Amino acid sequence: MVSEKTRLVNEQGFHMRPATDFANAMQKYDCDIRIEYNDNQINAKSMMNIIAAGIRYGSDITIMCDGKDEEKALREAVDLIESGLSE
Amino acid sequence: MRIIDLLRKDSIEIGANAVNKERAIDILIDLHEKCSVISDKEKFRKEIFKRENASTTALPNGIAIPHAKSDSVKKTSLSAITLKKGIDFSSPDKKPTKLIFMIAATNDADTHLEVLSKLMTLLVDNVFCNKLINAKDCEEFLRLIDEKESERFTEQSTVTPSVHKAFYDVLAVTACPTGIAHTFMAAESLEKKAKEMGVSIKVETNGSAGAKNILTDEEIENCKGIIVAADREVNTARFDNKRVLFTKVADGIHKPEVLINNIIEEKSPIFHTGNTSKEEKVTRSDNAGQRIYRHLMNGVSNMLPFVIGGGIMIAISFLIDTILSMPQDGAFGTHTEASQFFNSIGSIAFSFMMPVLSGFIAMSIGDRPGLAVGFVGGMLATTGSTFLLPLGDSNSISGFLGALAAGFLSGYIVLLIKRIFSFLPKSMEGIKPVLIYPLLGIILIGVIMCALNPYVGMLNNLLFNALNRMNTASRVLLGAVLGGMMAIDMGGPFNKAAYVFGTASLATGGYNIMASVMIGGMVPPLAIALCATIFKNKFSEKDRKSAMVNYVMGLCFITEGAIPFAAADPIRVIPSCIIGSSIAGALSMVFDCSLMAPHGGIFVFPVVTNALQYFIALAVGTISGAVILGLVKKSETEKKVVKNYG
Repeated sequence: MVSEKTRLVNEQGFHMRPATDFANAMQKYDCDIRIEYNDNQINAKSMMNIIAAGIRYGSDITIMCDGKDEEKALREAVDLIESGLSE
Repeated sequence: MRIIDLLRKDSIEIGANAVNKERAIDILIDLHEKCSVISDKEKFRKEIFKRENASTTALPNGIAIPHAKSDSVKKTSLSAITLKKGIDFSSPDKKPTKLIFMIAATNDADTHLEVLSKLMTLLVDNVFCNKLINAKDCEEFLRLIDEKESERFTEQSTVTPSVHKAFYDVLAVTACPTGIAHTFMAAESLEKKAKEMGVSIKVETNGSAGAKNILTDEEIENCKGIIVAADREVNTARFDNKRVLFTKVADGIHKPEVLINNIIEEKSPIFHTGNTSKEEKVTRSDNAGQRIYRHLMNGVSNMLPFVIGGGIMIAISFLIDTILSMPQDGAFGTHTEASQFFNSIGSIAFSFMMPVLSGFIAMSIGDRPGLAVGFVGGMLATTGSTFLLPLGDSNSISGFLGALAAGFLSGYIVLLIKRIFSFLPKSMEGIKPVLIYPLLGIILIGVIMCALNPYVGMLNNLLFNALNRMNTASRVLLGAVLGGMMAIDMGGPFNKAAYVFGTASLATGGYNIMASVMIGGMVPPLAIALCATIFKNKFSEKDRKSAMVNYVMGLCFITEGAIPFAAADPIRVIPSCIIGSSIAGALSMVFDCSLMAPHGGIFVFPVVTNALQYFIALAVGTISGAVILGLVKKSETEKKVVKNYG
């Protein structure tokens, strides 16, 4: 399992559009991908779960990937979030 | 903030008629306007469509949440519609959209996100969404949301709407033969699943200490249906005219969702009792095997208290004589006044074993009229009555086997008599239970038992002699098999078969068999607890904590404690437990330990013969089970347990 700490930089937080894009991007990986936020682990492939978590601007989160393509998945996930989820 | 506070009756439309997405969105905007939460309708409309055209706001499962954050919004609010006919909202799962919430948010990122997140927390629950879609009117729609939020955010809501909570969607009754573990596990499992599904449920537990959380007539009247997850008879007359799902207690533990859905979707037939109750009840959805098992277990569970009380008292009498170093002759256990007291009373309690077993099996089959017939049949099995010696022939005592036969035969005799005399006019109805059933039933069972006893008695003696004459090797093998059986399903049919065999052999003096059976049942929880203590990394923290309880469970001979762990990882846990239990059962035979009590775990160790060796057998079995489990179980870091949000 690999994981990396990061921070949500887009000012609107993880609302519907970024959550949809993010979950879609993650669905192409085989590995299990989780976002840890406020002691909850969220299935990063589920847009509804991400939105339900209500992750705000500036939140510290940890991305955790577990599976055979975990390195690639983690890279893309962190890049997406740090690039502000195209916002 | 709660979702319910953002909605009101005027902002909801149930069964709206919208032909397409655009029309649906306009209806939602109109609802917002009607509640005067937007200052500039056109501007708001543009913003909604701008967002919608960027990418769809549809979610899977027929939901959509169009939204806009805008200066034109005076107060963050929601409007909602349900659609008679689903429309195409370009949803990711291509399903038609039927439930739409529109968020009108003031220009503040955090509020918008909070509304969205709160709403989503509710909507991830499919069952709940379907309920909303099927709501009949605005009041029901609001009530559903209110209930759901109250249960989800109880800490946030100051007043709980008690009016709506008075009744339950689903009721359930759980009962297992011993009534100490499965009953409550099934209840817990059902309650947990119902909570996840957003369904209100009340579960009555018919445990060994009587029924708890009893369903009231009012609750029964107002529910959608009742789940009866029971391996023995429960009182079902009160469910007349309701939908009832009859099933095994194990289904309550393993398939709660299926059961709850069955009730919600009203799949079960309406249940009728009435005068011809038995014929109706036979149409229950269980097969012949399950029925026989349930009848048998009704007998066994009622028999156990007699065996426990009597067995331990007899054991105490032996203990007293041992301590006072009395000779181990024919009068062993009655040498002193104290031991005589314990021995005699215990034996009298013991002598109820067969009649009670037989009586309650018969009652399970033929209702109340079966009880008397069954009692007499069971007693005849103990006395060994034949046509030649109606008062009893010691060579024809058919014992446990005879009592089993008597129980089932009595039950069916009563059913037969009921059938034959169903032609009697209603005015004669009263004479049946006070004259016909008991008299004819007892005559018939008397004839049958007198005919049967010589043969079953022979079989019984054969079995008894075979067990007694068994050489050490076969006794050890028997111990291993019985011990292992206790661990196969931890309270299921295998376990019960071994256990019933153990208690049955108590009646014929096979005390070492009972010892192997009990030790085999003690090992699984203990092995799991020990494994969690030694191999910490193989268990999640939560599992480790609950595993500690298994020390107590195991020592008290409650094998069922192991079930949650076995259910979570059967391929590794069950074989490890079987091996541990088999070793313990075999060792108990090697050490020639014997036990006169059919239950009690560590508390009856003082009355076990060769108690020290018995303890060693338990320890060895537990350690082997724990070590094997520790070696085969995957560690937690390898498989990182993940928790789903929402």
